[in-house]
Amino acid sequence: MSAHDKRKAKCQPAAGRFFTSLIRDIREGDIWVKLSLLVCGTGYFARKQYVKGTIITLLQAALMIFIPTMLWPYMSKIGTLGTVQRELVYNPVTRKNETNDFDNSFKILLFGIIGFIVVITAVVLYIKNIRSVRRLQVRAENHKHIDTFREGCSQLFNKRFHFTLLSMPVLGVVVLVIVPLIVLFCVGFTNYDRNHLVPTHLFTWVGLENFQSLFSQQLTDTFSYSFRVVLTWTLTWAFFATVSTFFLGIFLAMFINNRKTYLKRMWRTFFVVAIAVPQFISLLLIRNFFADTGIVNTICRDVGITQFFKNIGWIAPGLDYIPFLSNPQWAKATIICINIWVGAPYIMLITTGILLNIPQELIESAQVDGANGFKIFTHIKMPYILFTTGPFLIMQFIGNLNNFNIIYLLTQEVYVTQNQALAASNAKEVDLLITWLYRLTQEHSNYKMASVIGILVFIMTAACALLAFNRIIRGNREENFQ
Amino acid sequence: MKKLISLLMAMALLLSCVGFAAAEDAVNLMVWIGGDKETDWINGVIEAFQAANPDTTYNITVGVVTYETVGVTALQDPEATADVFVFPDDRLHELVRGGLLQPVVVDTEAVIERNGGEGSGAMAASMVDGQLYAYPLSASNGYFMFYNSEYFTPEDVSSFDSMAKIAAEHGKQVSFPVMNPWYSYGFYAAAGLSVGLDEDGVSNVCDWNTKTDPFSGLQVLQALLDLVATPGFTDADSDAFVASVKDGSIIAGVSGTWNANIAKEAWGDSYAATKLPTYTLDGQQVQIRSFAGYKLVGVNSYSPNVGDAMDFANFMTDYDSQMSRFILLDDGPSNIQAAASDEVMANPAIAALAAQSDFADPQQVGGYFWEPAYTLGAIIVAGNPEGTDLQTLLDNTVAGIVTPIQ
Repeated sequence: MSAHDKRKAKCQPAAGRFFTSLIRDIREGDIWVKLSLLVCGTGYFARKQYVKGTIITLLQAALMIFIPTMLWPYMSKIGTLGTVQRELVYNPVTRKNETNDFDNSFKILLFGIIGFIVVITAVVLYIKNIRSVRRLQVRAENHKHIDTFREGCSQLFNKRFHFTLLSMPVLGVVVLVIVPLIVLFCVGFTNYDRNHLVPTHLFTWVGLENFQSLFSQQLTDTFSYSFRVVLTWTLTWAFFATVSTFFLGIFLAMFINNRKTYLKRMWRTFFVVAIAVPQFISLLLIRNFFADTGIVNTICRDVGITQFFKNIGWIAPGLDYIPFLSNPQWAKATIICINIWVGAPYIMLITTGILLNIPQELIESAQVDGANGFKIFTHIKMPYILFTTGPFLIMQFIGNLNNFNIIYLLTQEVYVTQNQALAASNAKEVDLLITWLYRLTQEHSNYKMASVIGILVFIMTAACALLAFNRIIRGNREENFQ
Repeated sequence: MKKLISLLMAMALLLSCVGFAAAEDAVNLMVWIGGDKETDWINGVIEAFQAANPDTTYNITVGVVTYETVGVTALQDPEATADVFVFPDDRLHELVRGGLLQPVVVDTEAVIERNGGEGSGAMAASMVDGQLYAYPLSASNGYFMFYNSEYFTPEDVSSFDSMAKIAAEHGKQVSFPVMNPWYSYGFYAAAGLSVGLDEDGVSNVCDWNTKTDPFSGLQVLQALLDLVATPGFTDADSDAFVASVKDGSIIAGVSGTWNANIAKEAWGDSYAATKLPTYTLDGQQVQIRSFAGYKLVGVNSYSPNVGDAMDFANFMTDYDSQMSRFILLDDGPSNIQAAASDEVMANPAIAALAAQSDFADPQQVGGYFWEPAYTLGAIIVAGNPEGTDLQTLLDNTVAGIVTPIQ
């Protein structure tokens, strides 16, 4: 018997037990329990829990009105996502437009999903209610104390305080995170694009078609090619951006912390100013500085740097400027360098604190043993920093996978790709998945492909996070370090 | 004293009630304009509109959504889009297809009449399948040639070859935004090649890679590569044009009315403008064509007050509003009466646009045109560094333009 079969065998009786005990509860329950099947509050009325009974009955009534009238119209159409398209006629008398009762595919998707969540929740509550009414009956038969409404409420602040504390966050997570996530996930399986924009047009399910076009290898299909190019650069970028800022930040912190460095605070302030200015402003300014006709290019030309690069063949002979942000290779290098300028000060600040925390006796004893500065760095400081910043480093990597600001602000409107296959899919060599996704939705209304890319980015980042946290943050690591 | 205060308060309360009642009767309209600098103009129009309709109280609010983004913004959420909005004509088909534009069904004849009748460029830019969908506001969203008459005679500016030669002699440059397909379209159109919307109103048809009569796309591509390699010629987008006109390195270049003041300030009395020149195509001189650019006013079909919105859009684009727009913003009118007025005719930039209008086409291309065409432009400006076969370049471009993204 395999592990899977074992789990199955264990699982089925559990589910079976649940239902047999539920049926037993109903069968053995008195008339009030059976009546609770119809009017959920009756079981509580019978045990003199009038307030609770009223609340439960009202909730049941509200759901019974709300689900069929408000949610069912959407839920019933979720299979097709709507069939009636908008038509309109101008009425010259009322001076208003008169429209038919048209379907809005997006609303059907959204409220349909909400509807199913509400129905599932309602069913779970209904079953729980029967069991709790039956428990009340048993308590009453055994002449045990039955809580009054006030006692029940006060329990929410004592024995069951975790319910009170967690109810709002859980509700918030469901409404603000899970529902939108499910909806956006579903869009990846529809044909929601600029030909099917709601509310004027309808969109519908297309199954795995979008995923197929992302991974298919046909020659005419540039999307899968673009995806590979963009994915490769996204991973390359995340690696270099993380590693470069990390090490340069550490070196910066060590140089400033060095005993021989004067005016420590001034140096630190200089670097922190770079992150004090909002990126939105500083990056757009830098983009203008490094433009083909920008100030950096003017200086480079006057000083002769442009000519030097031309002589060693790094710039095409026809150009009289350095294509900092307009040539794929140059732009990638420039972006990584600018990212160091933006990102290294953060690492510097973090590692400054860590370096000051290293037990001085460790370093002193190493010095007594004859270790030089390099040895101390590789054997004491570096392991110490890595140990403390490990999780942060992984978060940096994940953050860089989705580092929208720096790429978008530096290349938007100045970078034009010369790769025709990329252009046909609205991608650029310097695009990350996230900036590509953004332009697909914002400029090209291609929601379906954006959703597909979003799903893949989600899988990628989730996998990275899980892997890293499992390997790096283990309870026993601290002992290992010591 | 106390009585007086309470009396005043009671009156204030009464007045505020009346005020609320009036506000409830008022017609609420939201208008989107393309930039902050248009605020004075639109406020004047709103005031005049209220004065012209004293029977109804209008509560008109103004929002700014740039011309680059208004089309996409409107399509993303029609119900949150303004009742009346100004947009560039290249978005017309997409907006009609998105069901956003209210067909103009009130005073239609008058609107068509005052913009030059059904055959005019303004109507071509605002009609789809014979139905009027927008009110033309201005006709100066196209491009033409600015030049410094210190260096060029009116005869010199008739061809790019003579212009580039003169510029090179002076160590200066003439410019054309070759990379930007909105401009470089004119080279292909001049050769009789076409790009336009397919019947579905969203995707494109394009014959740049197949047509050979009278010219082929291959010849155009070669001519463009030759042009960018010509001494005295440079590719310059709007920003580069502004910078180079200011520092004096560009003495003539193609741009639009939005840069007229820059050229005027830099060149003073020798500031001049004319239609686009000819370029050398397969040994012949061919007149460069252009996109005729119009700004249009659209009414949102999702507006709850669509009748009032149409009234306002109509008023906002009539003779008086267009004249005040010309005076405040230098924007050339689409209204033929306004366009023929002496003040407008005296403006060199608008006169140049009028001269180019014989060689201008309505801008009817789908959204997939731009990026592949931009990339082709970038390759041309770089001088085809990879040495890719020109026919392959054209084939790839056309494939990108006509194939909808999957």
